[in-house]
Amino acid sequence: MAAAAVAGNAPAFAQSAPRIVSLDYGLVSTLLSLGIVPLAVSDLADWDKWVVEPAMPQSVVNLGSSWEVNFELLVALKPDIILTTPYLDELLPKLKQVAKVVRLEIYAPDIGPILPAAIAATRKLAAAIDREAEAEGFLQRADAFFTECRTRLAAKSLPSVALINFMDARHARIYARPGLYHNVLERIGVRNAWTEESNYWGFQTIAIEDLSRVADPDARLIAFEPVPADVLPKIKQSPLWQSLPFARPGHLSILPPALMFGMVNEALRFGRLLTDLLDPKE
Amino acid sequence: MNRIFGKFAFGPAIVALVLLGAGSLLSWFLISPLLEAMSQTSYDVPRMVLFYSTLPRLATALLAGAALSLAGALLQQVLRNPLADPTTLGISAGANLALVVTSLFFPGLLGLGRDMVALAGSTVVACIVMSLGAQRGFSPFSLVLSGLVISLWCGALSAILTLLNERYLVSLFIWGAGSLAQQSWVIPLSLLWKTAVIAVICALVMRPLSLLDLGEGTASALGVRLTRLRFIVVGGAVALAAVVTSAVGVIGFIGLVAPTIARLSGARRPQQLLLWSPLIGAGLLLIADTAIQLIAGKLGEFLPTGAVTAIFGSPLLLLLLPRLKVRHRALQLKERARSWTSARTGVLAIALVGLFVALAIGVFLGRGVDGSWGFPHGALFGEIVPMRLPKVFAALSSGAMLAVAGVILQRITGNEMASPELLGVSAGATFGVAVAVFIIVPGLFGQMAFAAIGALLVLAMILLSAMRTGLAPERVLLAGISLSAMVDAIVGVLSSTGDPRAVLLMRWMSGSTYGVDARTAMTVTTAAVILTAAAFLARRWLDILPLGPSQAAAIGVPLRKSRFALFGLAGLMSAAATLSVGPLTFIGLMGPHLAREAGLVRALPQMVGAAAIGGALMVFADFIGRTIVWPYQIPAGLVSAIVGAPFLMMMLRRKG
Repeated sequence: MAAAAVAGNAPAFAQSAPRIVSLDYGLVSTLLSLGIVPLAVSDLADWDKWVVEPAMPQSVVNLGSSWEVNFELLVALKPDIILTTPYLDELLPKLKQVAKVVRLEIYAPDIGPILPAAIAATRKLAAAIDREAEAEGFLQRADAFFTECRTRLAAKSLPSVALINFMDARHARIYARPGLYHNVLERIGVRNAWTEESNYWGFQTIAIEDLSRVADPDARLIAFEPVPADVLPKIKQSPLWQSLPFARPGHLSILPPALMFGMVNEALRFGRLLTDLLDPKE
Repeated sequence: MNRIFGKFAFGPAIVALVLLGAGSLLSWFLISPLLEAMSQTSYDVPRMVLFYSTLPRLATALLAGAALSLAGALLQQVLRNPLADPTTLGISAGANLALVVTSLFFPGLLGLGRDMVALAGSTVVACIVMSLGAQRGFSPFSLVLSGLVISLWCGALSAILTLLNERYLVSLFIWGAGSLAQQSWVIPLSLLWKTAVIAVICALVMRPLSLLDLGEGTASALGVRLTRLRFIVVGGAVALAAVVTSAVGVIGFIGLVAPTIARLSGARRPQQLLLWSPLIGAGLLLIADTAIQLIAGKLGEFLPTGAVTAIFGSPLLLLLLPRLKVRHRALQLKERARSWTSARTGVLAIALVGLFVALAIGVFLGRGVDGSWGFPHGALFGEIVPMRLPKVFAALSSGAMLAVAGVILQRITGNEMASPELLGVSAGATFGVAVAVFIIVPGLFGQMAFAAIGALLVLAMILLSAMRTGLAPERVLLAGISLSAMVDAIVGVLSSTGDPRAVLLMRWMSGSTYGVDARTAMTVTTAAVILTAAAFLARRWLDILPLGPSQAAAIGVPLRKSRFALFGLAGLMSAAATLSVGPLTFIGLMGPHLAREAGLVRALPQMVGAAAIGGALMVFADFIGRTIVWPYQIPAGLVSAIVGAPFLMMMLRRKG
C-alpha cells in the first residue's frame, strides 16, 4: 500500500501534458509517478505479468513488442516525445524521424549501481518534460520509504537473502551486484546471500546446485513469480535440494512478480514486497 | 567370446581407456574441492552436492555419451553411411521440437511422459528422412543432407517459438542446447535401464547386422531379412536418441564423433565398432562436460554442453567428406518431358500478375490504430506508405534472389532438394551478426557489414573446400549445411548465456524485415537486379549442366569454371537475401519447384518464373507477418518457413 501511495497519480496534469510514448517499462512507470498518463507503451500486454504496479490506465495503447515497436502505429499516434533506452539504440535514427527522442541510460555496461543510475535518469526525464518538482517529490517519497523499510528491518535480526527466478526445475536466474535488487538490499540494510558479481543487468544464470555456493547456512531463498508449474514438485524430489538450507521450512518464499530490470518504482515494489516478507505486519 | 568379438582390437581399447582416463582426471578436479570442503565443515552441503549433483552429472555424461554413440554406430552400420548419427539425421532435433511444442501448446501431454513425446517427434523425423533416403538407395549424401535440413529447421522453429514467447521460454532454450546439470539420480538411473534394454535388443541382431558388411545381396542370400533388420536397428537408434534428448536436451554430434574415432583407431568389424563406440563416446562426453564445468566455473557463465559439443563435432563432418564415395547417379534430377511451348507464356503471365497483386496488397493494405483493416488515407498515406515500401521491396528482392539461387543450385547439383538455405551462407551471415551483437555492438549498419563479412567468409570456405574435392556438387551442399550446423551451435552457446541481447540475435535468425530502411532496400534491390541479370546471362550453362558432367564437357562447357562462377553467384544472392529475410525462408526451395511444376523447364523461363513466384511469396509472407497479430509482428522469414515446411514434407512424401 505504501508504495502505491508513493507512486501517486495526478490526473490533473493530463490536460496540458505532452503526448509521450515509452519503449521501456521502467520509464513508463516513472512517467505515471510524475503525473503523466502516457499515450502508448510497448509490450503492454505483458504489463500485469511482469510489472503489476502502478496500474496502467485503460487509455494507453499497446505499441507491440519492445523489440519491434510498431512504427505504423507510432506514426499514426503522433506523439510529441518518445522515451527510449540504450537497449533500443538501433532504432534511434528511425525514432528521431517520428518525434523528439529522450534517451535515458539505466542499464548499460560500466554504468555501475543501477539504483543511483535510475534516480539520475528520473531527474533527467523530469527535466526533459518539465516535471522537476514532481520528480523531486517522488524521489523524496521513495527515499523516505526506503528509510522506513530500513528502520523497520533494523530492529530485526535478519537472514541474508538470495533472490531468484526459476527458469526450470534445474536452472535459475540469480540477482546480484550491480543490479537493481542488490542496490535495494543495500539501501534497506539486507545482505545479499549471493556475493558473486553478475552482468550489468544484475543477474546470472545458474544451475540449482550452484545455490550451494551460498555460504550463509541461514540464508533465505526468495523466488519471484512466475514460477513454472513443474518446478516446485520436481525440486522437492531432489535429495540435493532437500539438503540445501533453503529446503528447510520457512526458508523458501515465493513473492508476486516484480520487474528486475526496472527503475525507482520497481525498486519500491521490490523493497515493499521484501520488507513485508521479512517483517510481516498483521 | 572370440566368436562374438573376433580378434581383440587394441587400438580402440587404448583410445577408450585414454579418453575415460582423461575424463576421470578432469572429474577429479571437480570432485576434490568438494571432498576437501566435506572434511572441513560439519555442514553437509558439499557432500550432498557431490552425491546428488556432481556424481549424477558424471554418470549422466557417461550414459548419454554411450547411448548417443551406440545410436550413431548402429545407424552408421545399418545405413552403411559413415556420416549418420542422431544429430545429422535430425532425430534429436525432432525430439526437441516435439517437446518444445508440447510444453507450449499441450502441457497436459507431458504428463504422459516426456519420453513418449520425444519418441513421437524423433520417429516422425526418422520416418521422413528414411523414406527420402530409401528413394535414393540410402545415399549417404542425400540422407544426411535432408537430416541436417530438418534438424536445422526444427532447431530454428524451437528458437522462434522462444522468440514469440520471449521471456517465459528462456528455459526451453537452455534445455534445447543440452545441459547435463543434475540434482538427483532420477535421470541417470532411468537412462541406464532404458539404454541397457535397447542395447540388449540390438545385441540380438548383431549377427545379421555384421553380415551387412558383405553387401546387401550377399546378406539377404545368407538369410538376413533386410527390411526387418533396418526397422529394428533404426528404431533402436531413434529410441536411444529420444530418451537422451528428453532427459538432457540435444547433445550434438557425439554419435558421429565416437564411431569415427573407433574406426580410425582400428575398429574394423561391426562388433568392434558397436562395442567400442559407446565406450569412446562415454569418455568423450565425460571429458567435454567436465571441461565445460571447470571452464564455466572460472568464467562464471552458464555454458550448455550440447551446443559446445556441436561446435567441436560439426567440423568433423567437413573433415569426413573426402572419405565418402560420390554417388552422383543416385541424385540425378528427373527431367520431366512436358510440352511447355504454349503453357509457358500463360504461366509467366499468371506469375507476374500474382506478383503485382502481392505488391499492391503489401504496400497499401494495413491496420489502423484501433486494429481495423484498411488503406491509409489523408496525411497518414504520405507517412506510412514510404515506411512500407522499403520492406516490400526488400522482401521482393530477397525472395526473387533466393528463388533464382535455388534454380542455379538445383540445376548444377542435379539435386531437387538443393536450395540457398543449404549453402550455409545464411548461417555465415547470422554468425556475423552474432559477433557484432555480442562483441562490438556497432549499430545497424555495422551489423549489416558483419553479416556480409560472415556470409562471404563461409562462401569462400565452401569454394575452397569444394575446389579441393573437385567441386562435386553434393560435397558442396553438405559442406554448406555442416557449416550451418556449426554456426547454429555457436549461436546457441552465445544465446543461452541468458544475455538479453540474445533476443536480438534470434530476431535476426527468424528473418524480420523490421530493420530494413530505404538505403538497405535500395542496396538489396540493386544487388537483386545485377545478380539476377548475371544469372539470366548464364542460362546456357544452366541448360547444359544438368545433362551430366561428361555430356556438358562434350558440348564444350568449361566444367570447373562454370560451376565456380555459378556457385559464387548463388552464394552472393543468398548472402544479400539473408541480410533482410533471414536464413530459413525455404523460398529458394519453393520458387524453383513451383516454376518447374507449372511447366517452366528451360533455365531462363524457370528463373523468371521462380523469381516472380519467390518474390510474390516473400512479399505476401511479409504482409501477413506485419498484420496478422497486430500490433505485434511475426518475422517474414518465419511466416515463409511455416509455409515452406509443409511444402518440404509434401515434396518428400510425393517421392515415396
